[in-house]
Amino acid sequence: MIGVLACIGVVLRTKLAAQMAYRSHFVLSVLLLIVGDLIVPMITVLVYRSGASLPGWTLHEALLVQGIFGLAKGIAFPLFFGMVGATLSQVREGTFDLLLLKPRPTLFMTMLSGIDPDDFGRLVSGGVLFGYAISGIPSPSPVQWLLFAAWFLASLAVLFAFSLLLSGLLFRWVGSSRVYDIFDSVTSFGMYPGTIYAKSFQQLLTYVIPVGLIAFVPASTLLGRAGGGYAWAAASAALFLSVGVFYWHRMLRGYTSAGG
Amino acid sequence: MIEVSRLTKCYMTHERGHTLREIAANLIRRPVREVRAVDGISFSVDRGEIVAFLGPNGAGKSTTLKMLTGVLHPTSGEASVMGMVPWRQRSAYVKRIGAVFGQKSQLLWDIPPIDAFYMNKAIYGVPEPAYRRTLDQLVELLDVGELIRKPTRQLSLGERMKCEFIMAMLHQPDLVFLDEPTIGLDMIAKERIRGFIADMNRQGVTFILTTHDLDDVEALARRAIVINRGEIVFDDELHVLRSRLGGRKAIRVTTETPLPDSPLPGVEIVRRTHALEADIEIDTAVLPLKRLIGELNDRYGIHDMSIEPLSIETVIKELYLGPVEQESAASTAGRSE
Repeated sequence: MIGVLACIGVVLRTKLAAQMAYRSHFVLSVLLLIVGDLIVPMITVLVYRSGASLPGWTLHEALLVQGIFGLAKGIAFPLFFGMVGATLSQVREGTFDLLLLKPRPTLFMTMLSGIDPDDFGRLVSGGVLFGYAISGIPSPSPVQWLLFAAWFLASLAVLFAFSLLLSGLLFRWVGSSRVYDIFDSVTSFGMYPGTIYAKSFQQLLTYVIPVGLIAFVPASTLLGRAGGGYAWAAASAALFLSVGVFYWHRMLRGYTSAGG
Repeated sequence: MIEVSRLTKCYMTHERGHTLREIAANLIRRPVREVRAVDGISFSVDRGEIVAFLGPNGAGKSTTLKMLTGVLHPTSGEASVMGMVPWRQRSAYVKRIGAVFGQKSQLLWDIPPIDAFYMNKAIYGVPEPAYRRTLDQLVELLDVGELIRKPTRQLSLGERMKCEFIMAMLHQPDLVFLDEPTIGLDMIAKERIRGFIADMNRQGVTFILTTHDLDDVEALARRAIVINRGEIVFDDELHVLRSRLGGRKAIRVTTETPLPDSPLPGVEIVRRTHALEADIEIDTAVLPLKRLIGELNDRYGIHDMSIEPLSIETVIKELYLGPVEQESAASTAGRSE
């Protein structure tokens, strides 16, 4: 475990040093990510200011969902979602071979090679939004915070599973950057409270493709609205993650490298 | 150290046309074709050897190397390297091997090599004292003290390649795979890299060298394995390879009058460097050297002359092209039996 953390620490430091070689690019990237991630919440604010609303949800409650979504992406993107981009480029160029030559699990090496400090900008926008949303709702109890922490881990697990599925797909769909569009389209449903969708679709987003677990369920916990039914959602997150891990390794076996 | 038995790798490739109609048809149905990249090869390598693994482009060299480094699973066959099966015990195995790819860098473009070395130290779990000791030794051997602190993008190709070697050797591997390690380097840099490989070999490191640069082979390897169309067509010591040339010699001669296209029987003009100077090749079995000199002098007047054995390149070229292939395959089969 110490070795794993040491690897993550060294790679983070190294990638940050690489980013510092082009400081203006780094600063601009972080700023653009912050601004880009705040667009949907700003539209939400405009909707509420115009008198419309998401049924059953106040502005702060709706922003809480989007803030948690931003926070989850702010951790997932710099730490492990980069594996999608790493697979995309390295499988196409054949440099993925170099990861297989390292004495660590290939999945871990792929994750390490995708670490991207730029994406910590998302953590800033998510954090700001989360703080603003929390200030407008009744203070959650310590138990609610504890439950939130647990669901937030499930949220990261779902995002990790998405990373694995998309990255795995790229061993077959070599060089297809469309996987990002797939991710954006599917997860965009998770930026809004699940209750605005039809019941059956809500069930689909909670138990089958658990996008609702990224932000809606953790937010519901903080708001004291999460019922016992969500316990099954935890199992669904665990299953989704297991499928992701299995699928990724299955696809890795089909890796054929590039010409020498 | 390495035992390979009937190793085979097949893969499927899509066949694409180039006309608009074929491209459109590819959207619906893409015909696939099986490629037998490596076809049942067997060989062994002893500890401490430097073996050149040669072959034309697409012969199956890189695929073999990828299987031996654990990157690819073979379709069939077995390989045992240092008592391990590379693709089954990958994590434990790669700790004991190193790899340098002339065309795939392990360094990080925007930051100094020393940062990439630290990254490898953490990934390989090399203890600090061992890391420090090995790094100091490698830095001194390759004379890169100042360079490792400069951003990689500011280094010349030769300087980068030296750092690639440090990257591959920091965890003190017993076996190192080199794929075109001197590609694009100038003569001085090549000499330095070759010297380093020879030094490391003297310290007990085994090298498998894949290259198209036959000077690397002649400078470093005692043995060569030549692969063509997925099959081994030669596996023996370099002097055996040279002996295939028989009594053929390469001669550069400057004459007083120009040489005609067929100056003498058994003599072939390989290249004219000047009106009165040419590189010729002779078969001393047909025309002994003493007679050649006498006749050339009598007919065209020798002004200057240098005689050298034919380069290994000539015989390798013949192996690649095939005329000797059948005979060589038979001798290889004999050797492996």
